[in-house]
Amino acid sequence: MITRIDSDLSLVKEEGEYGILLLDNSLEEEREITLPRGKELFLSLVDLSDKSFGSHIVFHLEENARLHLEIASLLSKGLRRTYRIDVYHEGRNSFSRVRFFGIDFSSLPFRFLGSSYIPNGIHGCDTRQEGRITNLEKDCQSEVSPALFIKDNDVKASHGAAVGSYDENVLYYLMSRGLSLSESKKLVTNGYLLPIIDALKDEKTIAIAKKRLEERSL
Amino acid sequence: MEEFTIQDLSAEAEGKRILKGVDLTIRKGDLVALLGPNGHGKSTLLNCLLGSPHYKVTSGKAVLDGEDILSLSTDERSKKGIFMAFQNPPDVPGVVTMDFFRGMMNAHLEKPISLFEFYKKTTSAYEEVGLDSEMASRHLNEGYSGGEKKRNEILQMLLLKPQLALLDEIDSGLDVDALTLIANAIDKMRKEGTTFIVISHYDRLLDLIHPNRTAVMVDGKIALEGDYSLAQRISKEGYSFLEREKGISIHKEEEAVPSLGVCGAKVVSK
Repeated sequence: MITRIDSDLSLVKEEGEYGILLLDNSLEEEREITLPRGKELFLSLVDLSDKSFGSHIVFHLEENARLHLEIASLLSKGLRRTYRIDVYHEGRNSFSRVRFFGIDFSSLPFRFLGSSYIPNGIHGCDTRQEGRITNLEKDCQSEVSPALFIKDNDVKASHGAAVGSYDENVLYYLMSRGLSLSESKKLVTNGYLLPIIDALKDEKTIAIAKKRLEERSL
Repeated sequence: MEEFTIQDLSAEAEGKRILKGVDLTIRKGDLVALLGPNGHGKSTLLNCLLGSPHYKVTSGKAVLDGEDILSLSTDERSKKGIFMAFQNPPDVPGVVTMDFFRGMMNAHLEKPISLFEFYKKTTSAYEEVGLDSEMASRHLNEGYSGGEKKRNEILQMLLLKPQLALLDEIDSGLDVDALTLIANAIDKMRKEGTTFIVISHYDRLLDLIHPNRTAVMVDGKIALEGDYSLAQRISKEGYSFLEREKGISIHKEEEAVPSLGVCGAKVVSK
C-alpha cells in the first residue's frame, strides 16, 4: 500500500492500494481515474484537514474492474466541504463500493454526493454507494445523497444514507457503564472513523491521524 | 450497599403515566424477582433507576444508602455501583468491544487498569459466560446473536462487580446451558455481595437462582410482595389469582385518549 500525507489524487494510479491522510492540504480538485479491464483499486482517504473545499472525483470502470473507495471526513467549525463521487460502470461485470463517513462540527454545508451510472447493455455490474454523516451541532447543514442511475436489468445496485445526531440509545448504553456523556460521544465518533484510519496501514500515519482526530473531536 | 429504597416513584413517557408511585425497599444481599404482566412498568422501573432519557421521573425518590440517585447522571449512577443488563442491548458499530471494556473498567477505577490485568480479567469473564474471547476484537454487540448479547451483558456485570445489578429479562432467548452459566454467574456475584433485581417471565432461571423475595408490579405500582413461594405460585397459576384472592386488578387503568378529527381539503384546478 502506498500511503501519503497531504498528497493530491495524482498519487492514485489505475490499480493498487492507496491511502491519503489530509492534515493541512485541501482536496480542491476535479480528477478522473480510469480503471482498465480487470484492474482493482483500493483507496482510503482520511480527511482531517482544516480547509474548506469541494472535491469531484470521477471513476471510469472498464470490464471486470473493481473499485473500493472509503472516505472518512471530519469537518471542524466554520468549514464547508463537498465530496462528489461519480462512478461510471463502462465495462461488464465491473464492481464498485463507495463508503463515506462524516462527522460534522460545522454549521456550514457538508455534502456527500455519490452517484453510480450503469448504462444499458453493461450486464453483471455490482455497485453500492453509502454515506453517513453524524451531526454534532444543532445547526448543521449535512447532506448525504447516494444516487443510482441504472439502465440495465442484470445488475446489483444498492445505496444507503444516514444523517443524524448520536443515537440516544447507544449513548445511554455507554453511559450506563460509567462513561461520561463526552467520553461516550467521543467513542462513537471515533468508532465511525477509526476503521478507515486503520485501513491506511502505515503505523506512523495511523498514529498521526489518531492524534489529530483526538485533538479535533474534543 | 446496605439499603436501596424506592419511594413513591412515578414516571411518564411521551406524556403517558407508566409508573404510578412505586415503593420498594431492598437490602444488601437480596435477590428480588420483579414479576408482573407485560406492559405494567417493570422495565420502565429499572430504566428509571438508571436514568434512561426515554422516561421522565415526575415524583419520588430512589435512595441508595442515604443518597437520592435520581439527580445523578446515568454514568454517575453506574459509578455508584448500579448496573443494568439490558433487555435489548444496542449495536455500537465502530466501537471495538475490547476498547469499550477497558474504558468501562477504567471509569470505575482510580488508576487505569494495567494491560496484563485487563486481559486476565476479560479472558476469565469470557470463559465464565461461555463466549470466545476473540469476540473482544469485534464491534460491540454488532452481529451478535440474541444469546451472545445476553451473555455479553452478564460478562460486563462480572467485570464491573456492581453493588446493585438490575437484570432485565436476561434469560429470554437463552438455551439451557447458557441459562446455567448465567445462573452460576449470578450466584457467584451474590456470594460476593451484589444485590439483584431480576425481571423474568420464566421460572427456569428463578429455579436456578432462588430469589429470596418476589415483588409483583401491576399498573405501575408494586401490588404485592412475598417470598420465593409467590414467584413459584405465579409461575404455576399465572396472575389471575391476584384478582380472585387479593382483589388486585391485573388490568391497566388506561388513560382516555382524546379522539382527533381529521379533515382534508383538495384544490382541483381545471
